[in-house]
Amino acid sequence: MNFLLEFIQYTVSGLTSGSIYAIVGVCWSIVFLVTGIANFSTGEFVMLGGMFVWFLVGLGIGLPLSAILAITLVVIIGIALQRIALQPVRKPSHSIYIVITIAAASIIKGIILLTLGSETRRLEPFINSGQINILGISIDPQAIIVIGTLVIIGVGLSLFFNYTLFGKALRATAINSNAARLVGLRVDRLRVFSFGLAGGLGAIAGIVTAPITFMGYGEGALTGMKGLVAAIVGSWSIPGSILAGLGLGVVEGLFAGFISSGWRDALAFFVMIVYLVARTISFSPRERKL
Amino acid sequence: MINNEKIKPFIPWIILIAVITVIPVMFTSPFVISIMVFIGFSAVLALGMGMLLGQAGLLSLTQPAWFGVGAYVTGILVVREILPPVLSIIVGAVIVALLSYIVGLPVLRLKGLYLACATFGILLIAQISFTQLRDLTGGHSGLFGIPPLSIGSFVFKTGTHYYFLIWAICILFLWFLLNLVNSRVGRAINATRDSEAASQTMGVNIAQYRLQAFVLVSSMAGLVGGIFAFYLRIVTPSSFGFSSLIELMFIVVVGGYANLWGVLLGSIVVMWLKEFISIYLLQIVPLANGAMAGALEDIFFGVLIILILIFVPSGLTGMMEKLVSLAKKFLFKGEKKYGPSR
Repeated sequence: MNFLLEFIQYTVSGLTSGSIYAIVGVCWSIVFLVTGIANFSTGEFVMLGGMFVWFLVGLGIGLPLSAILAITLVVIIGIALQRIALQPVRKPSHSIYIVITIAAASIIKGIILLTLGSETRRLEPFINSGQINILGISIDPQAIIVIGTLVIIGVGLSLFFNYTLFGKALRATAINSNAARLVGLRVDRLRVFSFGLAGGLGAIAGIVTAPITFMGYGEGALTGMKGLVAAIVGSWSIPGSILAGLGLGVVEGLFAGFISSGWRDALAFFVMIVYLVARTISFSPRERKL
Repeated sequence: MINNEKIKPFIPWIILIAVITVIPVMFTSPFVISIMVFIGFSAVLALGMGMLLGQAGLLSLTQPAWFGVGAYVTGILVVREILPPVLSIIVGAVIVALLSYIVGLPVLRLKGLYLACATFGILLIAQISFTQLRDLTGGHSGLFGIPPLSIGSFVFKTGTHYYFLIWAICILFLWFLLNLVNSRVGRAINATRDSEAASQTMGVNIAQYRLQAFVLVSSMAGLVGGIFAFYLRIVTPSSFGFSSLIELMFIVVVGGYANLWGVLLGSIVVMWLKEFISIYLLQIVPLANGAMAGALEDIFFGVLIILILIFVPSGLTGMMEKLVSLAKKFLFKGEKKYGPSR
């Protein structure tokens, strides 16, 4: 019985961090699908969201307003990244994009360190009600907010991509950007939009998670990489990334609880490498995927 | 100048060796020597990364990890007095070679983006292992108590000793890599970069060549990692992390990875630039502590990387080649018209 309780407890905490991985994974997927760029500064969007809200709330602006301001700022940064650093590249290749986005991540990190300091910052929980106890399992109310945010984002995105013309245009660009351009879609604008969307979603993830994990200038990198694992294992599709992110979170939570918390971060990357390599193995040589 | 053509290929080597031998004579300050030693270490790592990226078309981000494994294995063997210094460096390199073979065998099936992701994952796993295997590595505080390197009765005491050791290795490695690039194997590796299908139909065993290049480059990183442990006499996980990867990427990008000479030049330019930033920029902008200075460096480097990749994607060598060809066009315009007069 005790074991079962612990199991559920770890699963719940895993689902919380998994929700964050899922949202970040969606950010990677949207950008990758529309532009073909693996944006290694995705994790910094999360960090920026959390840090901006901490700063704005500290100025005395209320939480809702500062959240909106922070999201807007990160959207602008995402768009600026695409327009200033990525669009002018003349000979695009994966290697060049990887190097540029990693460089952009270190610029963002450096600026935050210089302006907002190196200490980890803590945001007050949105609801001050203490831990909720259900049948001996304690749940942080903030965790419910995080999971709820993922649900809202998931439903919102699926409505957006399936029922609006703009969403359909994005999907068309993701499937075949040349054909989308031929039918008259302004693909360049859609690319910019995808960066803005990823920035906004990343910022939301950063804001809702800041009261649980705290935020520091270096917090983004690891979260970003976990999101990448979710996106890759979810094969860059949005529902896939969400499922993979939640799965990763749960596996990680159980691993940290029952086996070792120090090695917990290594697990995600190990899973990613094994998955990537397993994908290349096929028994008939014609069906090699990568 | 009878056999001008015969001498020509040796000119860059003569210049390089002359510069390297003159530097410790001209600048006796330990500061300059220590920077040059660090440049030597980075150059060996960057040459490997540049070789994989420029010749084989593989963006592999594992170099700092192998460097770290080499340093830790050597350090542990020496601190526990299991093996004498030189032998422990060799054992370190052999272990790195074995590990990189085991890792490379599955991972090198990937290409492009996925290879970069997987190798980045390996770097992070290595980083976590360095801090988590506390009994072996000493965790965050690091592994200390490493004696200076000694071969027989000769002890490497001063920075100058290490300077000559690392630069000898670096020049030999460059020479070996350039010969490799111009050999049958090198041309085959080159061909796999340009068209995998075409080279495969010509009978090139792509997987084998890639793996060999990867293991060669990795074990070289492990070897200099061992020397690095003796040079610093302390091994901490922070030396082999994300920041050293960014530094390496910057060297390779600034130098231009299409040419290995460019990578060497890049490592010298970048590392000195870094020193000048931390000396001069800090005088202009007063900052509280070391972390802030690091942040300023990161911002400066990041902006430079992006500017270079947008405006001069071929790096320093590309820039120089362009300048030389422009100068030739401009200076020898007349000569070409009237035929060779000299």
